[in-house]
Amino acid sequence: MKGGEAHGPLARALAGEAEALDTCVHCGFCLPACPTYVRLGDEADSPRGRLHLMRAVAEGRLDPVSDAFQSHLDRCLGCRACEPVCPSGVPYGRLLEHARATAREARTPAPATRGFLRLFASSRRIRWVFGLGRLARDTGGARLLSRLLPRMGRLGALRRALLMVAGSAPWRPGVLGGNGTDAASEPSPPRPPPPEATGFATAGVLAGCVQGALYARVGRATAAVLEVHGVDVRPVPGQGCCGALHAHAGDLEGARVRARANIAAFERAGVDRMVVDAAGCGAAMKEYGHWLAHDPAWADRALRLSERTLDVHEAVAVWGPRRGAPLVGTVAYHPPCHLHNAQDVGDAPLRMLAAIPGLEVRRAQGPEECCGGAGIYGVTHPELGGAIGADRARALADTEARCVATGNPGCMMQIAAHLHEEGAAMDVAHPVELLAESYRRAGWIRTRPGGP
Amino acid sequence: MTPDPHPPAPSPALVRDLRRRLGDAAVITDPDRLLVYEADGLPHYRRRPSAVVLPLDTDETAWAVERLHGAGVPVVPRGAGTGLSGGALAGPGAVMVGTARMRRILALEPANRRARVQAGVLNADLSRAAAPHGLHYAPDPSSQTACTLGGNVAENSGGPHCLKYGVTRRYVRGLTVVGAGGRVAELGGDAGPGAPDLVGLFVGSEGCFGLATEIEVGLVPVSEGVRTLLAAFARLEEAGAAVTAIIASGLLPAALEILDRATITAVEESVFAAGYPRAAAAVLVVEFDGPDSALDDEADRAEGLCREHGATEVRRARDPDARAQLWKGRKKAFGAMGRLAPDMVVQDATVPRSRLPEVLGRIEAIARAHDLHVANVFHAGDGNLHPNILFDRRDPAWVARVEVASREIMEVCVEAGGTITGEHGVGLDKRPYMALVHGPAELDAMARVRRVFDPQGLWNPGKVLPDGAEGPPWRRDAPPRRAGVRPEAAPRTLEELAATLAEASERGWRVDPLGDTPGWADLELDCRRWGDVERYEPADLTVTAGAAMPLSTLATQTARSGQWWPVDGPGLEGATVGQVVLGAPESAVAARLGGVRDLVLGLALVTGDGRVLRLGGGVVKNVAGFDLVRLVVGSRGALGVLATVTLRLHPRAAVDRSWVLQAPRPEALMGPALEAAALDWPPVAVELGWDDLGATLAVRGMGSAAEVAELRHRLGRVLPAAREADAADGALVRAGLRAPAVGAPGRAPLAGPAGAGDELLARGRTQADEAGAPFAGWLAVDRGRGWVALPGGAGPDPGAGLDDAVAREWAAGLKESFDPAGILPPGPFPAGEPTP
Ligand SMILES: Cc1cc2nc3c(=O)[nH]c(=O)nc-3n(C[C@H](O)[C@H](O)[C@H](O)COP(=O)(O)OP(=O)(O)OC[C@H]3O[C@@H](n4cnc5c(N)ncnc54)[C@H](O)[C@@H]3O)c2cc1C
Ligand code: SF4
Ligand code: SF4
Repeated sequence: MKGGEAHGPLARALAGEAEALDTCVHCGFCLPACPTYVRLGDEADSPRGRLHLMRAVAEGRLDPVSDAFQSHLDRCLGCRACEPVCPSGVPYGRLLEHARATAREARTPAPATRGFLRLFASSRRIRWVFGLGRLARDTGGARLLSRLLPRMGRLGALRRALLMVAGSAPWRPGVLGGNGTDAASEPSPPRPPPPEATGFATAGVLAGCVQGALYARVGRATAAVLEVHGVDVRPVPGQGCCGALHAHAGDLEGARVRARANIAAFERAGVDRMVVDAAGCGAAMKEYGHWLAHDPAWADRALRLSERTLDVHEAVAVWGPRRGAPLVGTVAYHPPCHLHNAQDVGDAPLRMLAAIPGLEVRRAQGPEECCGGAGIYGVTHPELGGAIGADRARALADTEARCVATGNPGCMMQIAAHLHEEGAAMDVAHPVELLAESYRRAGWIRTRPGGP
Repeated sequence: MTPDPHPPAPSPALVRDLRRRLGDAAVITDPDRLLVYEADGLPHYRRRPSAVVLPLDTDETAWAVERLHGAGVPVVPRGAGTGLSGGALAGPGAVMVGTARMRRILALEPANRRARVQAGVLNADLSRAAAPHGLHYAPDPSSQTACTLGGNVAENSGGPHCLKYGVTRRYVRGLTVVGAGGRVAELGGDAGPGAPDLVGLFVGSEGCFGLATEIEVGLVPVSEGVRTLLAAFARLEEAGAAVTAIIASGLLPAALEILDRATITAVEESVFAAGYPRAAAAVLVVEFDGPDSALDDEADRAEGLCREHGATEVRRARDPDARAQLWKGRKKAFGAMGRLAPDMVVQDATVPRSRLPEVLGRIEAIARAHDLHVANVFHAGDGNLHPNILFDRRDPAWVARVEVASREIMEVCVEAGGTITGEHGVGLDKRPYMALVHGPAELDAMARVRRVFDPQGLWNPGKVLPDGAEGPPWRRDAPPRRAGVRPEAAPRTLEELAATLAEASERGWRVDPLGDTPGWADLELDCRRWGDVERYEPADLTVTAGAAMPLSTLATQTARSGQWWPVDGPGLEGATVGQVVLGAPESAVAARLGGVRDLVLGLALVTGDGRVLRLGGGVVKNVAGFDLVRLVVGSRGALGVLATVTLRLHPRAAVDRSWVLQAPRPEALMGPALEAAALDWPPVAVELGWDDLGATLAVRGMGSAAEVAELRHRLGRVLPAAREADAADGALVRAGLRAPAVGAPGRAPLAGPAGAGDELLARGRTQADEAGAPFAGWLAVDRGRGWVALPGGAGPDPGAGLDDAVAREWAAGLKESFDPAGILPPGPFPAGEPTP
């Protein structure tokens, strides 16, 4: 059958991806990697099953309005754990975005998703809402209010959201002891390499929306560490939300609008690299080239930015990490899916943590499993997202480390919320915050990177 | 038993019922959602089931199957859907019962080296769980991270390391099976030594006999060290010859895998480029595992043999990273080829190893003739080929060419003495080729066996056997045509033997094939002339011999080529090959080299009603249809008269030593025996024999000089007092472990978890006391299996070891399907219970 005739133009849109869909040979290797399949046991909630549904739409055998297509795609975390295990190199993440676009055009998304997208449509609104969130977090109101709400149902989702906001509180450097330098530390301050050696002299740091509001401290740590490494960090005015949430929700047009704005801002700032300390945003920006491939005015410019986007762990690895002062204690590393699976950055964060003298890095059982945060998943699918988050928090708590390190704000909030629910007293930090603290104790960073 | 072409779909009321008991999420009926279940790992077959049910355990499964079968709805089991023969597909009207939510490891007993799991546990997950105890589950299909143990059991899956360790069947000890109508049977386990091997028969039954919900498997120690070699050859034949030389030399590599030029090119041009030499016509991956100190020597010898046979380059890996690099091309071959075209058939066939080069040449010619791209990756050590054919399913002409070529490839393999599938099963895909390897009589016998388990045809219908495979049932008043052959009491040909048994069945004359059931026979059959070697292929390590050949003659003949049939234990002197095959005595070396059941590849049998069945074949890996060989081995003559057997031989090891300890009572030797068996590099056999005069413990080591030296060193620590004996001396000692001869009954089987030796001895003593016999017996301590002698030739009762009512019924049904007139002795089969 020719692609998509039975179900019209929408199915044809997915049929355009037929070649990518065809690379799936149905071997099933991806099934055990998928958090939703492992928990639900229904192949329709597995990567192979979802690809099969996409293919059925492309072949015109399945209506994109159908419950099957809508609900199983909706339930995908987008964690892309299915990609590294796939022997045939199926570009699942990309296909998912197309499929979600198709699903969304066929049927309006659920109110919660719609609400979030509307929220993320305007940077003013974001600032407002997260400003309120920060207030609720810093005054303790978020946690207080969460205690009054039931676990299940619509209010359960609100409760989870409040716990996540509360979970974005900064880690307490006191939990990792140590003072001054030790034998392992390098003489301070290290001499920065010449710019020719690293390929970049200037960089902008993505402020983003959620990080900007709740994790401004991570951005400051990123900038401070880069400066120690001799990078000239410059402001990038006019930048905004990266568009990842829109793309994941199937609003590809909305995503492109955000991409164009960021490309223009990057070009105006004239920096060599954009450094991103939120894995979800970095993964999206590395896809800009693909998002805008069919837009002649933007395709090349998008590709240029994608090629110049570096995750902070990659940026630090260019000339470092350096061995600063000790942080004595234990930390459990959790790899964000959008770093490990989507950007294939697996070792750099571990090397970054290993560079900190005195720090013992532990891994949880099932070291690479998803935390279930997945953007707004924890809120749109409280039950499944909650179960996945609880399992992950328990595995991390079982390491008995003092602190969890993970490089994505979504994961940081999700894990902190679930650690709280499990009653585990662990702080949550971004790896670059720990590195910055080590540099600070070594005296290489003057200002205090902590704070809200 | 032709399946109903239009079976009823489950009714709304039935679906409601299922939902109420199993929960909404466990019952899927939305046709759109069911789309994802329309294919398995061979996605050009598509069949959408009418519903999918996902139970949590045996109870829920049994309950669901009872309802479904009760309503006449066929059921198809599904594991992870990685099967490559279209086996896990359910057509319209059929319901799929999946094991995806049955993922619990129920028990892990490191001391007894065994585990019990739910059927949905993934192969690799079991090994991961066992790893902290230094153990793993040996069969390692390339799909092991994704496939379920239930699927492995159903397909009798193999993998690269099965060359040394054997396939799934060797590791399955017990099963909980939900059978037709939802009745639950417990098969095997500690209860069942000496009983018909229902577990072995169920393994490889592809979901046609029932659904396994729980599986008990044996685990093996993770080997201490590994050495991996990669040898490149300018000609494929040279690689093949190197494989033959390595095997013949007595080396036992863990894996021997070959990639041909087309595969090397595909890998090297993909993102998985492994740095394989691109000019090579073939690369051979050889792996050894075992005690670290012995491995370099083995690797040196293998390297020498590769160079002798023309290897242009040999690389070697000692550490895990380098090893992974050498394996990378092999592991990624499937994915690399998958990227070359939209679709790919992974073919699967086995040929005798010595025929590999010739068969590969012919496959290449077939590919050229049909303008197809075929790349070969294969388990060279067992002659198991995987020709992968690329195509695009949207091009009907291309698909048609693939179909023709596939058939031609199968024909070539069968002509060369091979079979149509070595590990992927028949399913839907290979059904049309079944008649290439099996005659109507064999297909009919398989169909009858299937009917015993599934009288209504409601388990995975339309799979494995071609339609109309089953002939009319035996009737006394409708004698089969005999084409002028006369019955003879001393038959010279298979036809004469068949005529004799057919006549006996008609007249109700009783026949006793083994001559060991006193007072049974009305007709004395004389089969002594069936004692010659029919065919001996040293290069393939197989021999076909008449059942009446004395074991000692077989030993002499194979010893000339440095080979043996590795069945060893007391009481074998004077036995014939047929007696050993039908008696299936416990073998001392079974833990390392396989038991009698693992060492019989094929046989010719004449059933009670005079049908000639040529079962199995001459290749090491064979999953073309149900494994009736497994049922005949150990059947003690209850199913028919054995004419010839094809046996799997092994090269004799370079060094063969035993260590011996003696004591007045066996109890005193059990501690040392268990310590020897628990060494992390275990001996080949740990046997304990005793009678009222005294007890002997014999520990046996075999292998290269370095390997045996290593064992000597380790044994020295746990058994300092043991006396070392050479091979001949050791044989004398073992013969002295007193025992009734194999043919003679008079022993009760003894079995338990390996490692629970004290408990087994205590049980044996009680058994002997109860029977009023002196306490004498023999135990393969490392296997937890053996027997105690009983007085006056009394054997175990028919049906002993079959406590389960459903299992007894199946066993009785199986006996009847081979011997409908009941002219053969019961052997281990219980009498048929009156059908309600
Ligand atoms: C890339 C790839 C590599 C492979 N490599 C190998 C290899 O090296 N060696 C090898 O032998 N195979 C290999 N296979 C084939 C396949 O993985 C095996 O046959 C495997 O055992 C199937 O397991 P499954 O759980 O996927 O079963 P499924 O495909 O779901 O089912 C297979 C059959 O088993 C039946 N079944 C499943 N579960 C049960 C149960 N609990 N009780 C009764 N019947 C049941 C089904 O009805 C069906 O007939 C490979 C497959 C792929 C895709
Ligand atoms: S692992 Fe890749 S090829 Fe295999 S089923 Fe999953 S997506 Fe398809
Ligand atoms: S992205 Fe994650 S949740 Fe979605 S199919 Fe892949 S593994 Fe499963």
